[in-house]
Amino acid sequence: MNSANTTATTDRILVCCGTGCIANGALEVAEAIEQQIAEQGSSATVQLKVCRTGCSGECEAGPVVRFMPRDLMYYRVRPKDAQAIVASLEGAPVEKLMHKVDGKAVEHMADNPFYALQHKIVLANVGVIDPLSLDEYRAAGGYEGLARALKMTPEQIIDEVDKSGLRGKGGAGFPTGRKWRTAAGYDVFPKYIVCNGDEGDPGAFMDGSTMEGCPHAVLEGMAIGALAIGAEEGILYIRDEYALARDHIQHAIDDAYAAGILGESVMGSGHRLDLSIVRGGGAFVCGESTALMASIEGRVGEPRAKYIRSVQRGLFDHPTVLNNVETLASIPAILRDGGSAYAQIGTDSSKGTKVFAMVGKVKHTGLVEVPMGTTLRTLVYDIGGGIIGDRPFKAIQTGGPSGGCIPESLLDLPVDFDTLTEYGAMMGSGGMIVMDDCSCMVEVARYYVDFLCEESCGKCTPCREGLRQMRSILTDICEGRGKPGDIELLERIGHTMEDASLCALGKTAPNPVLSTIRFFREEYEAHISNKECPAGVCAALTQFAIEADACTGCGMCTKACPAGAISGDRKEAHMIDPAKCIACGSCREACRFGAVLTTRRTA
Amino acid sequence: MSEMLTISIDGKECTCKKGEYLYDVAKRNGIFIPTFCRSDAFEDHRACCRICIVEVEEGGRTKVVTSCVYPVERECSVQTRSEKIMEERSVVMALLVHRAPEAPSFKNMVGRMGATETDRLVTLDGEKCILCGLCVQACNALGTGAISTVNRGTEKKIDTPYGKGSDACVGCLSCANVCPTGAIEYSETDTTRTIWNRDFELVRCEECGQVMGTQNSVVFAAADEVVPTMCDSCRKKHLADEMMATYRYV
Amino acid sequence: MTDQEKGERIREIVAAYPADQRHALAALQDMQHAFNFIPEEGLVELAKHLGCPQAQLYSMATFYKALSLTPKGEYIVKICNGTACHLRGSMNLATSLKSELGIDPGQTTEDGLFSVELVNCLGSCALAPVMVVNDTYHNRLRVEQVPGIIDSYRQGGASDE
Repeated sequence: MNSANTTATTDRILVCCGTGCIANGALEVAEAIEQQIAEQGSSATVQLKVCRTGCSGECEAGPVVRFMPRDLMYYRVRPKDAQAIVASLEGAPVEKLMHKVDGKAVEHMADNPFYALQHKIVLANVGVIDPLSLDEYRAAGGYEGLARALKMTPEQIIDEVDKSGLRGKGGAGFPTGRKWRTAAGYDVFPKYIVCNGDEGDPGAFMDGSTMEGCPHAVLEGMAIGALAIGAEEGILYIRDEYALARDHIQHAIDDAYAAGILGESVMGSGHRLDLSIVRGGGAFVCGESTALMASIEGRVGEPRAKYIRSVQRGLFDHPTVLNNVETLASIPAILRDGGSAYAQIGTDSSKGTKVFAMVGKVKHTGLVEVPMGTTLRTLVYDIGGGIIGDRPFKAIQTGGPSGGCIPESLLDLPVDFDTLTEYGAMMGSGGMIVMDDCSCMVEVARYYVDFLCEESCGKCTPCREGLRQMRSILTDICEGRGKPGDIELLERIGHTMEDASLCALGKTAPNPVLSTIRFFREEYEAHISNKECPAGVCAALTQFAIEADACTGCGMCTKACPAGAISGDRKEAHMIDPAKCIACGSCREACRFGAVLTTRRTA
Repeated sequence: MSEMLTISIDGKECTCKKGEYLYDVAKRNGIFIPTFCRSDAFEDHRACCRICIVEVEEGGRTKVVTSCVYPVERECSVQTRSEKIMEERSVVMALLVHRAPEAPSFKNMVGRMGATETDRLVTLDGEKCILCGLCVQACNALGTGAISTVNRGTEKKIDTPYGKGSDACVGCLSCANVCPTGAIEYSETDTTRTIWNRDFELVRCEECGQVMGTQNSVVFAAADEVVPTMCDSCRKKHLADEMMATYRYV
Repeated sequence: MTDQEKGERIREIVAAYPADQRHALAALQDMQHAFNFIPEEGLVELAKHLGCPQAQLYSMATFYKALSLTPKGEYIVKICNGTACHLRGSMNLATSLKSELGIDPGQTTEDGLFSVELVNCLGSCALAPVMVVNDTYHNRLRVEQVPGIIDSYRQGGASDE
């Protein structure tokens, strides 16, 4: 980790060590490469340094290894590949580890369409620098924004943020400058700046990766915010599950104190700032601002009515600014390069970039950052490479349990704070789950309602009881007991929840149900009237059969079947025993010849 | 002197202090807004039953707010029984009735206000509690803090730690008395009261024999003072008699 | 751990924090970490230290998912049920674990060896479906691999691959 003397003669091997790549064995790969370097020896002119970076984005193809400055990208690297990689550093690249476009191997990151269409500001340093090195962050321009801010008045800082057009990227899209200005206007001390790192949407890992990959950017953003509003204490509330992010943030805080960036006198300015971490307790509702503050105060994470805003009376009843990780990590660049530079990216009403975690049935899953206003089609098809197995696209779920499912007809809409909302969907915090024709929208709605039944705090009636009733109705529909009138009843309960629930979680909780009804009503009707699940997901309504003509008898389905329901001799057509079939769909997933047919379950 | 505002509630002009809760303004002006989780005994309101929702038109925008905690900050026009509010309130009522089907008086109350009729909602067998939280609020306000909410989401309930008799409980019945649905059960014999899984010895007035409370609650209420042995009315009578005896000879 | 050691450990954890309500969650998490659950004595001791009702801490311990009031197994098997994992068959993994261990998510086997939990997104969506045993990730897991993995933990040794 000794990174102090990065000279021109030091070549770097960047090994992505984000959560996804670590889960895929990246640490072992880094070790193997280091060992190989020791064995093969670096040449006299080039020093090799293995750098464990944050998430480089394409988690699906991890572990990802990048060789700089030559910019060679290797994917799906195993420890046993280390020898070939080190041996090839000065010669021909290892072709089998490279990304292929139309069968041709591409060397550089920019030639891979997954990266080519991205525009990185928040993630600029993620995957490039060693997240544990303050020096590398500084060498990349880190803390220059704070240094500039220290020469400005709070008003000037806020003006700069205003000029950038930055809006809260946790999903709500409230103008950050306006929030800061309101908090700065109260002469009640102490004030607090809080970072919301309780990223709880299933399928979203933007903030976790940002904290892991470039923790100093978050701290710098907080320090600038603290100066602007006049706060001397800041708290990062980080989700319980994000152990690596917590470690890296803590490491960065310790380094920043040691370097005089935090503490008694921020960079020698005489301003005081203390930052600390509060570890979340494992509750989705704590992503809601008032619940998050209750949790920091050492209480149950129940929201309170929000008619008095947190900027006036928040944490410990004092003026508090709560910003999400991505918002704060956008601040350093705005202060360093100026608000107007930032405002040139994006659309009229949504400036800058947005980070998305694209997962599900898309070919290249991972973390992407694009200018606001990029269309969903670009995201899914150009960057994501389309649907796995080239199956038909069905929907994209955005915004997690507070969001909705967007159908194909809206794929050409630009993604920003306002457009999708007009069409009854939302951009959300950045989770994007791509679904193909094998995803049942009723079951997806039930999944989110199930999630929320557990994650609702349970304080107010519409959310707690509304979700309970929705779960029971949706379960009935999925299991063939749906009745005429169910859709309308779900809508009535949903609209009541939208208006009458206490907090943002409750008000948005019906979104997955209401948006799937809006865009996929016929699928609900098929379940209710025909007792049929067109996607072949709801087990009570589905059974699978093998089309004898298409079956090659390869046996993949037999291997995949957890119920032992498939039989057949090798190279002969196989059969599914309907009595044993649990309709899990494993065979359909395993079959490469499209021989598994989805049919309506007959009694 | 705080600023005064004039607002309109269901067409009636009402004056109020800036920052006053909308529910309080309506009540003072004889306009009834239903609520289950609000008690005059407390300054803070949990705003969780969501029955007291009303529509507020303010600066050209209409929104649904919870009247019990909505502070009136500027002139506005309020509808407590608009079509939207009646629809949504009736859905919330239906949700509550199905949550607590066994709450005795509650069903009638809801019946009068009109809940959505449907046979598609599931009911919780034997449940009486609507989770308004007034019992916890009362227990905390007294300083005992013996009960709290337990779990979260649809599993939420009110209980003592571990569902066992709690050392902090004094058996005072404040929770049961404040409960709008009679959901907190207790029983009494001549000598013992049982509540929240614990038996409490009853104390009777040495004069008239009336139950004064449990031994624990009488001691708790006395704090550091001398623990009384007579009920309030007997004590007053006793005092009066003493005074009489003293002053008769003056 | 004897009762006395347990008591000492609890007092150590509690004493590390100032008597301020805002440290309640952190102290409870430390206990969870030390004992794999929060012992009743721990709640009592912490309530005394913070000067708050025990019921308030009990409420927190049942509210936050990271805290547990019953001891968990030696191996905690977490099945990620984030959306990506859900779509790629995480519930089938749960069914398979049920037939292998005889327990539903949220339960612990009688021998105290395994706890199964259905957890929210672990942030490894790209590798779905994901199952994590203690700290070891099993990625892109197929149902037929589950029995073998469980067996390797039963035999103790092969846990860290």
